[in-house]
Amino acid sequence: MTHTRRTRAAIVAGQILLAAFVLLPFFWMFSVSLKPPSEPFAIPARLWPEDPTLSNYVTAFRPEFRTYFLNSLIVSAASVTICVTLALLAAYAFSRGALIALTALMGMVVLAQMFPHSAIIIPIYKMMRSADLLDTKIALIIAYVSVTLPVAIWMLRGFLVKLPVALEEAAAIDGAHPLRLFWEIVVPLARPGIIATAVYVLIVTWQEFLFALSFTSSKAERTLPVGLNDFIGQYGIRYGELMASSVMVSAPVIAVFFFLQRYFVAGLTAGAVKG
Amino acid sequence: MTRRDQWLLWLFLAPTLLLMGVFLYYPMIGTVWESLHQSSFISPDPEFVGAQIYSRVLDDPDFGTILANSLVWTVGVVALQNVLGFAAAMLLNQGLPMQGVLRALVLMPFILPGVVTAILWRFMYDPQLGLVNSLMIRTGLVEDSAAWLADPGTAMAAVIFVAVWKGFPFSMLIYLAALQNVDESQLEAATLDGAGPVRKLFDVVLPAIRHVVLVNIVLTLILTFNYFDIVWVLTRGGPQDSTHIFPTKIYETGFGQFQFGEAATYGVMSILVLAVLVALYVIVERGTSRRRPEA
Amino acid sequence: MKRLLTTSTAALLLAGPAFAQEVTLQFWDNQQTESGLSQYQQEAVDRFMQENPEIRVEVTTIPYPEYQQRLLTAVQGGNAPDIATLDQIWTGAFAAAGALVPLDERAEAAGVSRDAFFGGAWDSAVYEDGLYGIPFNVDVWQFSFFNRALLEEAGVAPERLATFEGLREAAEALSGEGRFGVGLFGHQGEDTVVVANSFIFSNGGQVLAEDGSCALDEPAAVEALQYLQELSQFAPSGILNASSGDMRELFLNGSLAIEFWPALEQPTLQASDIDWGFAVGTAPEGETPVGTFGGWNLSVFESSEHKDAAWKFIEFLTREDVNGDVVDLIPANVAAAESFLAANREGADRIMAHLENAAPRPLSPHYLQIADAQMDLYQDIYSGAEVAAAAEEACARIDQLR
Repeated sequence: MTHTRRTRAAIVAGQILLAAFVLLPFFWMFSVSLKPPSEPFAIPARLWPEDPTLSNYVTAFRPEFRTYFLNSLIVSAASVTICVTLALLAAYAFSRGALIALTALMGMVVLAQMFPHSAIIIPIYKMMRSADLLDTKIALIIAYVSVTLPVAIWMLRGFLVKLPVALEEAAAIDGAHPLRLFWEIVVPLARPGIIATAVYVLIVTWQEFLFALSFTSSKAERTLPVGLNDFIGQYGIRYGELMASSVMVSAPVIAVFFFLQRYFVAGLTAGAVKG
Repeated sequence: MTRRDQWLLWLFLAPTLLLMGVFLYYPMIGTVWESLHQSSFISPDPEFVGAQIYSRVLDDPDFGTILANSLVWTVGVVALQNVLGFAAAMLLNQGLPMQGVLRALVLMPFILPGVVTAILWRFMYDPQLGLVNSLMIRTGLVEDSAAWLADPGTAMAAVIFVAVWKGFPFSMLIYLAALQNVDESQLEAATLDGAGPVRKLFDVVLPAIRHVVLVNIVLTLILTFNYFDIVWVLTRGGPQDSTHIFPTKIYETGFGQFQFGEAATYGVMSILVLAVLVALYVIVERGTSRRRPEA
Repeated sequence: MKRLLTTSTAALLLAGPAFAQEVTLQFWDNQQTESGLSQYQQEAVDRFMQENPEIRVEVTTIPYPEYQQRLLTAVQGGNAPDIATLDQIWTGAFAAAGALVPLDERAEAAGVSRDAFFGGAWDSAVYEDGLYGIPFNVDVWQFSFFNRALLEEAGVAPERLATFEGLREAAEALSGEGRFGVGLFGHQGEDTVVVANSFIFSNGGQVLAEDGSCALDEPAAVEALQYLQELSQFAPSGILNASSGDMRELFLNGSLAIEFWPALEQPTLQASDIDWGFAVGTAPEGETPVGTFGGWNLSVFESSEHKDAAWKFIEFLTREDVNGDVVDLIPANVAAAESFLAANREGADRIMAHLENAAPRPLSPHYLQIADAQMDLYQDIYSGAEVAAAAEEACARIDQLR
């Protein structure tokens, strides 16, 4: 795309504003994370601590933190993989089947997205207990897959209905097995939708709090969002260590997004889906 | 469709139906059952009372407040998040240098856990110690420290702002992807016709990504309506209930005050309200699309 | 120490074969402060396991903000721990729900009685004549911690803070030029309730009358609330979303002259550069301030399969020689409290006197709903509502619960 000098300047100004809007709180988070615990907060707020130190990072990078991080990683990765796989299968069925029962079921999928988690958590907790799954990552993965499935199906179905059926029909005439057809034709074409859905599931599971809090009790099974609350007491918050942990949580994920973003955007658009 | 395909179709659906049935519908039916029974933690033997709790909840002035707050919160966040998300997508789709870095940076709020986001912003908003007031006083925007979250007049706006900050990158990501599909030749044709950027936006870009806009809005509508972490940590629904929405009310009534029947009733009500909201949007959307000739 | 080791080794040897079956207890505690208490708790638990080799104890610590929800989910889901610390104000509800084991007989047999504990704490564990917990730790709201330098600069005598009139004058004299007189807070939280209560109690008022009806609209309570409403003009702006934690940050940076906290605040202040002191509560001239009791009880859950072992652990934790090592509030065992305060707090006898004089919050299984009505009332008052009318409205809500 080509721009005149004036529109170019306007766009750059807009980009700078956008970056400032996004980054200012992160800058503050970083600044607080460098403040020694003994230095009181100033009025008006100081942008940078008087005597910056890494001591909060040293305290925050406890063995527990590493456990929490690893747990979050495992739970998120497993939830994304399972959820997207199941959602893809279901969405395919919904987009290709022509039964009235399917329309009704799709309505139930749409409705299920709307259930508030705090209204269904106690029955789920009871089931996890009966299955002896409390305080395991499996309980979280099952719960996350279940609650993210409806939206994931709905998103993927949106992509699949727009795929040209002609290709599949041609392959079917050639005698391709339906499973092969699904795997070799539908999945590659649906890649943008799969990536978008995976991003959605990842984000939901990475920061989910209520289920993680209720289903895990030992430090060995806690995930990050719950683990970060270690720094919150009844009457006070250890801001320095909390912010240092937050920086440590964000940094690797941002790095991953940084290297992968071009694939996201490219992946989302591959397959030349026409709007 | 052959019989074998039919069979395969149900096989594809089976795991989903099983999970949804067991972990979403079964608990939800339990919640509906609970909403028809009088029960609380301290009187655990449920007694069937029909719609009695519903009529009590509907008569409670709190219900009106929560309904109104939920609507303002949802519509506010969804509208701003999508507008900002779209604007950001446009800004970061111009092929200028640093675009890749910026795209990654803008995604940052999206990755931060909601609870941490809320604690960070609660501190940012702190009337005396926070960065928001500090910057506003320094730049002369306000004279005296304002208490954004403590004033019932500004608390909702302040909470919405945080949710938008956190949520817009997701919308941006989806719009960014959709923008890749806008036909370059149509844009060029419009330019040759002498269309300005605004006309190009409305005549070419928006029609091309209509479906994505619809999906995005419905998706953020549902997610926002049920979003709990940010509001709970920022204000707990206060001050004076000015930010109390359905999810915070359900949590507070159930887990804070041990009133399960009432919490269940609010849970069922919230689904009804959200379903109406989504249906209304979809109907309005379909209506306008019919009146407008397809590009 | 050496003797203790040998005795416990002997006990270990003796007990070994007799208790071949090992029992594992689940103990849940909340993480109340940001201190490293868990380490001392673990040491005490290790000591208990040495004394009782047939019992293993697994400690789960849960951050305070989620503790209530976490416990409730567990109890509802049939997965309660064997033992947990319960906030004084929840004990009634958990007992009414049938989730707790009455401990009367076990306590009597073991010679554990009310005399050894702070009376108010013991009473909070009693529900309908049954004993459902043993007090674990206590504290009292509020102490008025002051910044000595700021008081001197404004010419305010610290003793003045203990009276209604004196506190009001001090707050006025200490306000202005970027400084705040008094750290009142009014967010949706229990700390809001206990501070307002202590002003009501000190003025001779009550939350609930003897017969259980709401007494917040009685003259003594209304007067105290009117006083707080007036005092709030000298508080930092943003009172409706401010907590005691927020006020602490302002106190620590020297801009706030007076903050309201329980004695628990002392370690934080000791570690700071602030030259501080404290006044014990606030009351009308000539009256003794009455604070609001706070703290936690140890309870055994009905679902526990090892109730006797659980009781043993509770007995251990509340023992005079142990209690002080496992709490960061004040031990609920009076003898333990005396040595704990002497060793860890300034003004031990003043704290002790305030504790002994403190009044509990309503002992009702509906407490959480009462407190919600109170929070709404206090928020209305801090935003300038007419006090008598607001109190009447709150009372209407509270009386409906009966």
